[in-house]
Amino acid sequence: MLTHFRYTLRRMRGQILGWGVGVALLGMLIIPFYGVFAEDQAQLMAMLESYPPEFLAFFGDVTDTSAMTTPRGFLQYYFFSMVPVLAGIFALAAGSGLLAKDEEHGRLDLIMAHPVSRTALFVGRVLALAAGSMAVVFVGWLGCAIVLQGSSMDIGAGELAMAFVPVLAQIWIYAAMALLLSMLMPAQRFALMVTGVLLAASYILSSLGKLNPNLSAVADLMPYAYYQGAAALSGLDWGSLLGLLAVGNLCVLLAWWRFAHRDIRVVGEGSWRLWFPSRR
Amino acid sequence: MAEQLALSVRGMTKSYGKVRALRGLDLDVRRGEIYGFLGPNGAGKTTTIRCLLDTIRPDGGSAHVLGLDPRRDAVAVHARTGYLPGELHLDDNMSGEGQLRYFNALRGGRASWAYVRQLAEQFDLDLKRPIKNLSRGNKQKVGVIQAVMHHPELLILDEPTSGLDPLMQQVALRLIREARAGGATVFFSSHIMSEVEAVADRVGIIRDGVLVEVAAPDSLGARALHRATVRFHEPVSLEGLLSVAGVRLVSQDDDTHVTLEIVGDMSPFVRALAAYPVRDLQTARPSLEDVFLAAYGHTQI
Repeated sequence: MLTHFRYTLRRMRGQILGWGVGVALLGMLIIPFYGVFAEDQAQLMAMLESYPPEFLAFFGDVTDTSAMTTPRGFLQYYFFSMVPVLAGIFALAAGSGLLAKDEEHGRLDLIMAHPVSRTALFVGRVLALAAGSMAVVFVGWLGCAIVLQGSSMDIGAGELAMAFVPVLAQIWIYAAMALLLSMLMPAQRFALMVTGVLLAASYILSSLGKLNPNLSAVADLMPYAYYQGAAALSGLDWGSLLGLLAVGNLCVLLAWWRFAHRDIRVVGEGSWRLWFPSRR
Repeated sequence: MAEQLALSVRGMTKSYGKVRALRGLDLDVRRGEIYGFLGPNGAGKTTTIRCLLDTIRPDGGSAHVLGLDPRRDAVAVHARTGYLPGELHLDDNMSGEGQLRYFNALRGGRASWAYVRQLAEQFDLDLKRPIKNLSRGNKQKVGVIQAVMHHPELLILDEPTSGLDPLMQQVALRLIREARAGGATVFFSSHIMSEVEAVADRVGIIRDGVLVEVAAPDSLGARALHRATVRFHEPVSLEGLLSVAGVRLVSQDDDTHVTLEIVGDMSPFVRALAAYPVRDLQTARPSLEDVFLAAYGHTQI
């Protein structure tokens, strides 16, 4: 299991670094601007109030634009509202490709002919996915924490870390869903496509659901609806976190069951029939 | 009897949708022998191997590998087996050495690295080069090395010489013989009759998912199929040639140009041909598919 863990993590290192640095860079670009905005709050407020509510909805709570001028509100509107989408792309690629990529390239057939159980292989790789997700969040947090030291925001690195915990939960649930779909669908690209649509729909519907009550019922089914963002700076919403973790873990469990019971594909194989369990 | 068998398959079936890849396969491979698994493309060779290794699950029937059920004891079976897939795909981002060290780690580090280096030298393979820069033949060498480096009790090789040049094919076949000499059982599939004849103790012939015959390699030579294209100086009557046992007319462009098929020993045909005014003679060994058609016809099994 340790060999699978190390091998998978080693292969993911480029992705981890790329997306982690991407999140960090976003924070490093946004955080220094708070000082500028804080100096001219009146102008900032006028600008925010000129925005249509449909636009503001994508940045969080639209009922109180004055909150945007606080450090917490600023981080939420300009940084944490977008991070799940950015890091979510890593989650989709890493989750859908965790096993299906090797399988479709014909490598899994040979790996599985070695003395390793399917469960050990699966668990080793899922642990690497979890570690990789944490690493992306850690690199993102580290970049932001460094810049935060020189900013006028009165937020400590420890507090900031709290706000990254809901980001990790979002990454986990998208990665887990992508993994499950990659086990059910005949090709990794289908899993990537479906979860990609879900990620975008989740962001859009959850944002617009704040304006349109008719959408809120659908939006409540989306992972983004349970995302805390910068609100986590003043305390984590454990209910949402554990709920997302439970759904993510359920997806992983179903993916394991499917992987343990189905044929390993080789290059060129795969059909929609793979959904049906064996009659044996 | 069962403990003398390295592989035992009974009534194995496997379908991919409407395609029936295996249709009740029965197969026995004795411990310590080299068993050539011969069949044309699409006959079910790779499906059989993948069922034996539990990478795919048969729809019916049973299999035992080294006395173990591969479905229940897959890890134990794999620990004692070396496998080379028919279509080898390695991690392009690794070097040959990195790939082999990874496979060795999956086996708990059982292989001796000195032996790996010795094998690489035999194959004239640079292990430091990235997989992505290796030719197909060199990748195949990495595949062969990973299959034998831990001295397995059972070697399952799917088209082991595929992609290798003739010299390296001989090295691979020598490794197969060495493995057998060291007590291993070798089960290898091929669609190249001469290769199977060269190393196998017994040959199983599979067609349309059913084992149609188990034979000694020598007997394959007796029914070897040749195709001869003959051009004569002048129009001739073919009666003398066609009366030779095993000779069949395939096509005749005119009275001076014919194509014939000869099953078995060529000598009687060559002797009969000596009486003709031959201008040109070309012979070729046809594909295994053609051999199968000659041996078993078009009948559904």
